[in-house]
Amino acid sequence: MVHLTSLLLKHYHKGHVVIRLALSGCSNRPFYRIVAAFNKRARDSKYLEQLGSYDPLPNNCNEKLVSLNIEKIKYWIGNGAHTTKPVDKLFGLAGFFPLHPMTITNAERRRKELDSRIATEQENTDAHEQDTN
Amino acid sequence: ALPISPFPTFALFPLRVSVLSSAMAACRVVRCARWWSAAVRRPPDRRTLCTAGIGCSEGRTCSFSDPEVQSLLFRMTGLNLEKVFRPVQQELKEPEYKLMTDEQLLKAKEKATLEAVERLKMPPVLSERQPIEDVLAEDQILEGMETAKYVFTDISYSTPHRERFIVVREPSGRLRKATWEERDRMIQIYFPREGRRLTPPPIFKDENLPVVFRLDRHEHLLNLTLTQFEPDSADYIRVHQRTYEDIEKHGKYDLLRSTRHFGGMVWYLTTKKMIDGLLIDMIQRDLLEDAVSLIHLYHMLHPGTQSANEAKEQDAQGVDLIKIFVKTEAQKAGYIELALQAHHEALSQSAS
Repeated sequence: MVHLTSLLLKHYHKGHVVIRLALSGCSNRPFYRIVAAFNKRARDSKYLEQLGSYDPLPNNCNEKLVSLNIEKIKYWIGNGAHTTKPVDKLFGLAGFFPLHPMTITNAERRRKELDSRIATEQENTDAHEQDTN
Repeated sequence: ALPISPFPTFALFPLRVSVLSSAMAACRVVRCARWWSAAVRRPPDRRTLCTAGIGCSEGRTCSFSDPEVQSLLFRMTGLNLEKVFRPVQQELKEPEYKLMTDEQLLKAKEKATLEAVERLKMPPVLSERQPIEDVLAEDQILEGMETAKYVFTDISYSTPHRERFIVVREPSGRLRKATWEERDRMIQIYFPREGRRLTPPPIFKDENLPVVFRLDRHEHLLNLTLTQFEPDSADYIRVHQRTYEDIEKHGKYDLLRSTRHFGGMVWYLTTKKMIDGLLIDMIQRDLLEDAVSLIHLYHMLHPGTQSANEAKEQDAQGVDLIKIFVKTEAQKAGYIELALQAHHEALSQSAS
């Protein structure tokens, strides 16, 4: 049986359930909760269920901690929840989803930039050597 | 004739609240042993099938959890109720006094014995866990994107901690399973256990252990180890070995008697063949049955030795077992014989 609430929402509010990051924490100290909420709700307001957390600042062991309640995430996705892009990227890094195309694209762009920067530096050093010689 | 009083006789049994609450306080320790048995997922049916009828004596390798071994170790541990229900250091509460009849007192003592048996359940002795080196993916594209690693923990409530997925995405793009230390830390962050700290306190460092041993706080240290570490972690095994070696060096066996750690200590000493001191201590304290069960355990663990073979040939019982052991395997043979002699003389003196 399909989850009734999502059907009702679809036809009444024309909304849907989303798995997204709700920001909390203090100034200059963000902390995200991975949350299943209705699409139309405010970002930090009432949610259906908390499915995990994400701490963007690394801890003493240089780790960014992400917790995922895999059981409930599968449940909500099975009941038709959508995911937002940051959540998709996090799941891709975790191995729960395949890697997000933008992660790969950004990585490739960064790699190209680095390579071009190294190439220009190399040219500059070559030019310097030629001038000194 | 005894005067018949119109009222029934009462006995005053000062059942201090501290005793009850030390029972409750130590319940955590008992609960953590039960937690291990759930987490390690040893299927009970399979174990009883395997060991039904077959024991250490038939050439199979002996393990700590065999029922024969467990019963021997439990008998040696002793059941000193005064020591088991010794007041634990906790918040001060007023003592509670109860007025009881003789039958009620007897029932309370039986209940206390059952509770003590529950408290004396030995924590498991496992071999050190193998390091985890599983790599799930190697995505070199992601190299250089991040400076910190991501640790993803699965916080589903129903999965046991041993089967939980904890993966790490490193800055080099490699996705690997987390190491045991990372696993312990993450599980403590998301499912905190009372008494367990994120970073182990400095009492467990090798430099600080002699201080603890000088103060005779071996039991306290072992209880701390139980709450802090997993039974198959390297730190747990190391601290336990140091404690047992120190006890053996100074002959402080009585510190652990009637506690849940006595079985583990006896097991360790027997596997390392260092039971002479313990034997002498048992004979001096007039615990001959315990000494006999110790030799019995020794023969179960090392069935190929000379004393084991001789004991099987002669089918020795009781003090003869100890004598065979002294003749063949003992390092402190002289001391053990002296102790036996002294014990024999004391017995004959008390008889006459």
